[in-house]
Amino acid sequence: MEDYKFLFKVVLVGNAGVGKTCLVRRFTQGLFPPGQGATIGVDFMIKTVEVDGEKVKLQIWDTAGQERFRSITQSYYRSAHALILVYDISCQPTFDCLPDWLREIEEYANNKVLRILVGNKTDREDREIPRHIGEDFAQRHGMYFLETSAKEAENVERLFMEIAVELMEQAKCKELPKYDGSLGPINGASRELLIWPSVKNHTVCHGF
Amino acid sequence: MDDDLPTDFQVIVVGTGMVESIVAAACSRIGKNVLHLDLSDHYGGLWASYNFDGLQKFIKEVNSDPKRDLQVYNLCEKWYIEKESPEAKDGGDENKTDDSKAEPAKKTWSQSDFTAEYRKFNIDMTPKLLFSRGPLVELLISSNIARYAEFRCVTRVLTWLNNRLMPVPCSRADVFATEAVTTVEKRMLMKMLTSIVGYNEDEMNNEFKDWNDKTFQDYLKHKGLTPNLIHYVLFAIAGGNNNMPCLEGVKECKKFLMSLGRYGNTPFLWPMYGSGELPQCFCRLCAVFGGVYCLNRPIDKVGTKTVDEGKTVVTIESKAKTLNCDHLVIGINECPKELISPEPAESCDISKAVFITNGSIMASEKEPLSLLRFPPLADDDKAVTVLEVGPATGSCPKGLFVVYFIASKSKDAETDLKPYAERIFDMSGGDAESDKPKCLWSLFYNVKDTSAPVSSVVEGVHVCSGPDAGLDFDRAVEQAEQIFKKICPGEEFLPRAPDPEEIVFEDDVTHGPEFQRDHDDDEPKE
Repeated sequence: MEDYKFLFKVVLVGNAGVGKTCLVRRFTQGLFPPGQGATIGVDFMIKTVEVDGEKVKLQIWDTAGQERFRSITQSYYRSAHALILVYDISCQPTFDCLPDWLREIEEYANNKVLRILVGNKTDREDREIPRHIGEDFAQRHGMYFLETSAKEAENVERLFMEIAVELMEQAKCKELPKYDGSLGPINGASRELLIWPSVKNHTVCHGF
Repeated sequence: MDDDLPTDFQVIVVGTGMVESIVAAACSRIGKNVLHLDLSDHYGGLWASYNFDGLQKFIKEVNSDPKRDLQVYNLCEKWYIEKESPEAKDGGDENKTDDSKAEPAKKTWSQSDFTAEYRKFNIDMTPKLLFSRGPLVELLISSNIARYAEFRCVTRVLTWLNNRLMPVPCSRADVFATEAVTTVEKRMLMKMLTSIVGYNEDEMNNEFKDWNDKTFQDYLKHKGLTPNLIHYVLFAIAGGNNNMPCLEGVKECKKFLMSLGRYGNTPFLWPMYGSGELPQCFCRLCAVFGGVYCLNRPIDKVGTKTVDEGKTVVTIESKAKTLNCDHLVIGINECPKELISPEPAESCDISKAVFITNGSIMASEKEPLSLLRFPPLADDDKAVTVLEVGPATGSCPKGLFVVYFIASKSKDAETDLKPYAERIFDMSGGDAESDKPKCLWSLFYNVKDTSAPVSSVVEGVHVCSGPDAGLDFDRAVEQAEQIFKKICPGEEFLPRAPDPEEIVFEDDVTHGPEFQRDHDDDEPKE
């Protein structure tokens, strides 16, 4: 068993080109990939962080390009603990698509999923969406909000650290199904299936 | 937006059913350039899972589109509960009952409750189980696609015996623990099961060499098994009937026995959120290795054209665009009929039903996940397979169960299956107390059996079969591998995908500012 106390699945969505992959790689590898498309074969990335002296493993999933023609599999959203919806602050259409993404999230993600709206590319000079517009949108839809720059490493670590802190707190209040290791292997290195244990049943007797 | 779609691919896959999706993943995995399309706005085709709203749309679509009628017909949906709850509702508080609280009073469900909680349903068009050591489990593990899926163990196998439901002892421990079987019977059963496990097709010089042309039932009788034991082995373990050939029965039993002891009490696994998740797992792998995905993409015409050096490519007309590929992999339901040869022989269609009930067919301490195998109730009936899944599988809201019935079609789905459903559900729709769970909603339908392999008259076009009536995915996996081998001869079928830790990025990287630089600002706020 690996040395971590909690494992959380974080998924990113948003239009193509808003910088989802760059955010992940900035956080997990500390670098900014210059070109597009070098991500063949990359599924999710892992980084272990420490919160209150406890090791928390974040498994961060990218869309694998399926967002390009709005064809993300529902299973991508399953079991996600946190969902980062990203737009590009210098590209109005990526902001205009947010309601479509929210509809998809409503449909497929767990309703307890932690939602964060991220306006990426604050390094760009040609901003089209003022900060307060994003903030306002997030507030109206019950989401956390943060502006980031994957290129300048601005707010990226903070984004993921806050997610880790928040999820830890929720997990401690038992609001979340915990991947605490007892559940069996879930990380990529496993050679077995993830099997959920059986649950106590409250609904088996019939009649009234 | 669709028009950024590139037009030239090595492989184009049309349809996101199980076979198509496995082939797409396998081709993409070894480096083929793959485009994967679906005509509809969701994954899975006839293999899909729907939430309650999606299912309503599906029913409407089938009823209004005569073309869909060719695949799915005799659709009959029925409610057994009121539109609205009679008592005043206390504003959605019921959603807040959490696991730790004591058992809530039994809820009276109304149709509007279903509508309100529609997202919590995942109802399968093609519910199937996985054998714990079957080909799909092995493939999921060896390819590393297992990381996209989660499972629960089937907790029990049931049968219908002496007019009631009976648990079938599965494991050695079960056999010895059960009171339904005498000690002498236990010894007989263990001996027979041991010889079945020892069965090997290649060396027919064994226990079964003289049983080629006899029935499995005769064999079981010959071994001195009592009628109860014969029932367990023939109907519940082998999933057979009175006419099941001996060697087929032996093979089915062996498959069951070999999958015991890996994950749970029974040999079976059920995918969380339903069988419809599994094709999507393969699609995800395809995308991770560069496959391009586009749902909602109808195709108008399939043809061929000869390009330079006499090479022929397959062409697809879609939304005023021509897509070209070396190989087209297409689901039988999407494939233009003139490309299929020979016409698939008239086969026996499938009768299916889905029930939503307010309790399990057989009470148990932990939430059960059950496989029930009904022997034929009448002489000319077919055996019926029943799967019951509960809220823990992500199939329905708390307090409900989803129950699937599958059989070969004799007359029509409702006539074929209703007599069986009435044995285990209270289908009166009334408030009267009953020892059976109440059926709240039902859907009967027939599906055309398109599972027979067919080939295409056009070189480079590979036709994928539709779902079969069988319990597992084995035929789909087998067919997908065959199609892959035709497209990519000599290549490995779904080699293990690397784990994230193993990936070395090859792009030359312009380093941004150091990660730690503004660390001080990064303290998470309380």
